[in-house]
Amino acid sequence: MNNSHSDVLIKFEKVSKKYGAFHALRDVSFEVKAGEIVGFLGPNGAGKTTAMRIISGFFPPTSGRVLIRGIDIAKHPHKAKRALGYLPETVSLYPDMKVIEYLRFVAKLKGVPGHELTDHVRGKMSFCGLLGVGHRLIGRLSKGYRQRVGLAQALMADPSVLILDEPTTGLDPTQIKEIRELVHALGQNRAVILSTHILPEVSTLCSRVMMINQGQILASGTVKELASCLKDREAIHLRLKDRRDQDHALKLLGAMPGVENLNCAEEVKGETFISFETSPEEDLRPLITKLFVEQGISLVEIQRQQLSLEDIFLGLLKDGKLGRRF
Amino acid sequence: MRKVFAIARKEFSSCFHSWLGVMMSVLVLLVSGVFFVILVLNYAKISMNPQQYGLSNFSGINQTQFIFGSFFINISIMLLFLVPILTMRSFAEEKRGETLELMFTYPLSDFEIVAGKQLGIVWFFEILLLPLLGYIVIYRWIGGEIDWGPVLLGYLGFWLLGNAYLAAGVFISSLTKSPMVSAIGTFSLLLVFWIFDWVEGISSGVWAHIFTELSPLAHYRNFTIGILDVQDLVYFGFFFFYFLFLTLRSIETRNWKS
Repeated sequence: MNNSHSDVLIKFEKVSKKYGAFHALRDVSFEVKAGEIVGFLGPNGAGKTTAMRIISGFFPPTSGRVLIRGIDIAKHPHKAKRALGYLPETVSLYPDMKVIEYLRFVAKLKGVPGHELTDHVRGKMSFCGLLGVGHRLIGRLSKGYRQRVGLAQALMADPSVLILDEPTTGLDPTQIKEIRELVHALGQNRAVILSTHILPEVSTLCSRVMMINQGQILASGTVKELASCLKDREAIHLRLKDRRDQDHALKLLGAMPGVENLNCAEEVKGETFISFETSPEEDLRPLITKLFVEQGISLVEIQRQQLSLEDIFLGLLKDGKLGRRF
Repeated sequence: MRKVFAIARKEFSSCFHSWLGVMMSVLVLLVSGVFFVILVLNYAKISMNPQQYGLSNFSGINQTQFIFGSFFINISIMLLFLVPILTMRSFAEEKRGETLELMFTYPLSDFEIVAGKQLGIVWFFEILLLPLLGYIVIYRWIGGEIDWGPVLLGYLGFWLLGNAYLAAGVFISSLTKSPMVSAIGTFSLLLVFWIFDWVEGISSGVWAHIFTELSPLAHYRNFTIGILDVQDLVYFGFFFFYFLFLTLRSIETRNWKS
């Protein structure tokens, strides 16, 4: 293995996956290095799970290559999977097995040597906070604990690549926080990919974000890069007293330079809401107020707001691009 | 090999996690016990008054053959019901619970998964067989004279037949996500194999001969009358490994869906 590539743990090379005529992934390429936590972000059916299943060796891609620590998973699945820990979307475990029994089983399958087995399993159980429930049946555990058992099985044999498919769905807020802390601790020296459709999770947890829709990567960048991108977009929200002014106002705003994505929300009690995006360099608010007063439009509220990750995401979903690619 | 044993052990112990194991043991003991008792009583009745049953000379009846030979034929019917229940969960339940998906992400070959699962079920089947050895003890205790050859061959034949059926059951289980469908499918398949044995009785010629050769029961019958033929051993070996191979292929099909 080349030294300069040694810290690239996951590499996707032009990976496509088709289910019949349906393209689940199209020509996806990316790399994940050690110490990175990459968040896959996308709506349901975007291709997140498909990408993860390909990395985990569940099925091969239709075309392209996936390398784990430089090993092609299609050619040497056995070797590549040794470095892999996978937590599926629905944590599927054997309900009639005891926690410790199950984890020992997984450790054996992952090739943990016999003399280390007991210590190894114990170590992972203590890391995931499972020591107290070792002799309980998995089927009787709460969702949060089952998630931890899922995480513990992914961690068996110390994989350097961790794939977590929606690790926090269905958990209560405390459990979400705990799982996030565990994932954060794990990300220090591993390559972690986690998928989610919870946006704040990405900003708190991930060092890099990849937005995926319809099998393509729409945007990819570190949280910092995203944040800098967020700074050059902002939204302005307007509230008009009288709904009849709406068309007139829209026409005026539409003619204004620097106004993008003009939107008209539903009216509430005769009032109407308008919002649009603009760049923060020029503050359009004084101009708008002046113009509206001159035209006799009763403006009751005007507000400037920075675009959130959510807005970017939605914008990307809508037209596949937003200002500049980042 | 260690991984195969780990899967086999898990598969084996999962049979005891539910009432399934207990129910199966009860079924096996009950059915085989009823058959055994009826045969012994029948033998006793005939031996009291052979003339009444059209036998001039009672010494012509082979005691071991009369009791154990028929016993093994009778309990093979039990496998038709036992095997579908034993194998229905094997792959079907793991597919439904998506635990198989997780297993595919471990550094395991498909062969290790299939072999482990098959082995675990075979172990459980062997545990169910153990109490059947008790009938030899009972037979000796009530004063029967045992002819060891045919009796041991009978047990060997039953073990081979059971293994062959189990391999077929595991294959059917790997095709579906529903244990129920798997059980019904396995039962139907075994029934078809069962019917092969009848063909010779209702017709003759090449086809009848082919069907008889394909019938597991025809090969099994040789064991119960104390004949050890290499052909029969090869037949059951082939039956077992052929279905093992089909299971392997059926598991691999996930790679073809692209």
